[in-house]
Amino acid sequence: MAFSSSGSGSDSGGSSSGLFPTLIFVQGNEQRTINLDHSPYSVGRKVDKDLVIADPRVSRDHALIVSENGVFFVVDQGSKHGTFVNGERVQRQKLERNDRLEFGVRDVAYVIFHPLHMQSSNTAREFLSQISGIHISTETTDLEKLTLFLEAARKLNTIGVLDEIFVTLLDATLKLTRAERGYVFMKNEDGNLRLAAGRNSKGEPLLDDKTISHSILDETLKSNSEFVITDTSQSLDLAGRQSIVAYDLRTVICIPLRKPQVQATRDAQGGATGSGEVMGALYVDSRFASRDISSVSNEILQAIAIEAASLIENARLVQTEEAARRYQQELSIAAGIQQRLMAVTIPEVPFARLAGRNLSCKEIGGDFFDAVNTEDGLAIVLADVSGKGVSAALLASTLQGMIYSQLTARMPLVEIVTAVNRFFTHKHIGEKYATVIVARIHPDGELEYVNCGHVPPLLVSNQSVNRPTHGNLPVGLLKDATYESDRCRMKPGDRLVLVTDGVTEAENARGDFFEDSRLEIVAAKSHSLEDIFTAVADFCSGTPLSDDCTVVDLLYTG
Amino acid sequence: MTLKLDSREVDGVTVVNCQGRIVFGEESFHLRDYLKQVLASSRKLILNFSGVSYIDSGGLGTLVGVYSSARSAGADIKLTGLGQRLRDVLQITKLVTVFEVYDNEPQAIAAFQRGAA
Repeated sequence: MAFSSSGSGSDSGGSSSGLFPTLIFVQGNEQRTINLDHSPYSVGRKVDKDLVIADPRVSRDHALIVSENGVFFVVDQGSKHGTFVNGERVQRQKLERNDRLEFGVRDVAYVIFHPLHMQSSNTAREFLSQISGIHISTETTDLEKLTLFLEAARKLNTIGVLDEIFVTLLDATLKLTRAERGYVFMKNEDGNLRLAAGRNSKGEPLLDDKTISHSILDETLKSNSEFVITDTSQSLDLAGRQSIVAYDLRTVICIPLRKPQVQATRDAQGGATGSGEVMGALYVDSRFASRDISSVSNEILQAIAIEAASLIENARLVQTEEAARRYQQELSIAAGIQQRLMAVTIPEVPFARLAGRNLSCKEIGGDFFDAVNTEDGLAIVLADVSGKGVSAALLASTLQGMIYSQLTARMPLVEIVTAVNRFFTHKHIGEKYATVIVARIHPDGELEYVNCGHVPPLLVSNQSVNRPTHGNLPVGLLKDATYESDRCRMKPGDRLVLVTDGVTEAENARGDFFEDSRLEIVAAKSHSLEDIFTAVADFCSGTPLSDDCTVVDLLYTG
Repeated sequence: MTLKLDSREVDGVTVVNCQGRIVFGEESFHLRDYLKQVLASSRKLILNFSGVSYIDSGGLGTLVGVYSSARSAGADIKLTGLGQRLRDVLQITKLVTVFEVYDNEPQAIAAFQRGAA
């Protein structure tokens, strides 16, 4: 059987593992995996090439990768800057695994031919090689053959690797029908058929070629019905079909693969044909009129198609889940970055003590605070970007970076927020804005701050709280906004408390807000920001926070 | 969706009644699309917020966005029916200096008429 010849380590060139050879295309920081699913495969600068490399050093028609009897060659098409294999300029060169191909551009963009580490899992084929040991006697009834196939299908259901399923499907179908070669075509987004897998009866991968009867394929899809011809010469209406005539195809079976109906159970699928949307087609043909093929009943082929379609659908679902899982992973990476940005190293200064804490209600939010010590004094920033989630976190990170760099450069506070506002309104961030408060305390107790639409700061002196009314527009809302700062002098023992509106708008079960009044009471009495968090937690008594809470507490010690 | 919008004409001014919550997402998108449509045929707009129970930061951003694009297109939006909370928010964010806010609808309409005279 075919299975014994595959999976060994001595493969080279194209006739190795699973399906098609892969090309790893690397350009700059980007990397793309390409299935070499047809021949010739064109490379060049022109947009209609299979691999388009947009670089002036790449010729419009640069090179072709062609397959000849399972061996792959790269052929230069008279390019100006040459085609290189492993650094040597070539005209025509047989490709070995791991070969490095360069087209005109060196180093910036290159292609690795079918790397060795790209071996896909062999579970499906290992499993099939086990069942292939089972001898199917010629006396095996259709029903027994079907059972065998279903057995394989069920086992495969747990694998969920699309390519493996295609190969397995083809191998099983070729085995059952004893046809010479088989292909699976799947519809892509624009409704065209794309070759997903091709195998011959020896278990070797096949590329798309002109000898496949595309007219039969198209017809199968259009009519949405099975197309089985066991002897084309007997079928007069087929006489005109190009490939059938040209390649003397005598037996063609083409079955549409339909999306399984959601409510359909395995039992209900039995022999009935589903009427789901067509996802693709299974195509097998032979150049001889096979008596074996005619011995396989139509029911079996239909059962194959139904099982295959449900397998493919399952595999696709698994892949979608995988994509969703990766997306989740990216989100948690973003959250990690956000957390590290929020992890502020608080500068030690002799004249003041600073503490800050953030309580996130979601994984990632739009609050951040930062502190920078320069010769002008200790600067602190607290900002709250509107909205939540990744977009808010992105904006928060950008904002933090801009403000941090300008504070380090000892820019005046008003200029900093003006620049930030100009940047965000110029970029049309799209109704996203931030309330920001930037403050700088000089060693002599002089405090300058700019409040941009933020909850007013609390100035605590001798247990009394002052809420200055100074304020400006938030940053990022209006491009011609102007900003002013406010100043005051802090005495030793005075505190500046900054909060985000997540604190004042923390809700209890009754829907009351924590409010400024409660905040002022606890801020007047307490000496640490932990007291504020405790007061908020007591007030909410279990009602979850709906917004991030950040508190920054600056004590001027003199 | 927790935001209901409807509009009527009063003395050449379009009054849009807002009912519910203006929060970022479905509601704020609805508000933006609705106002864009109204602004296509009317240059004098009053937003009556007396039925608005809550507006979050995202909703406020949408409001300012619509307001700025209306102004640059030569249209004017006045606000009325603001609850205490929304007044506080506009105060803190100093957006009171941007929006024209009136205590009630007749005053807002009268302001438009004065402007036109």
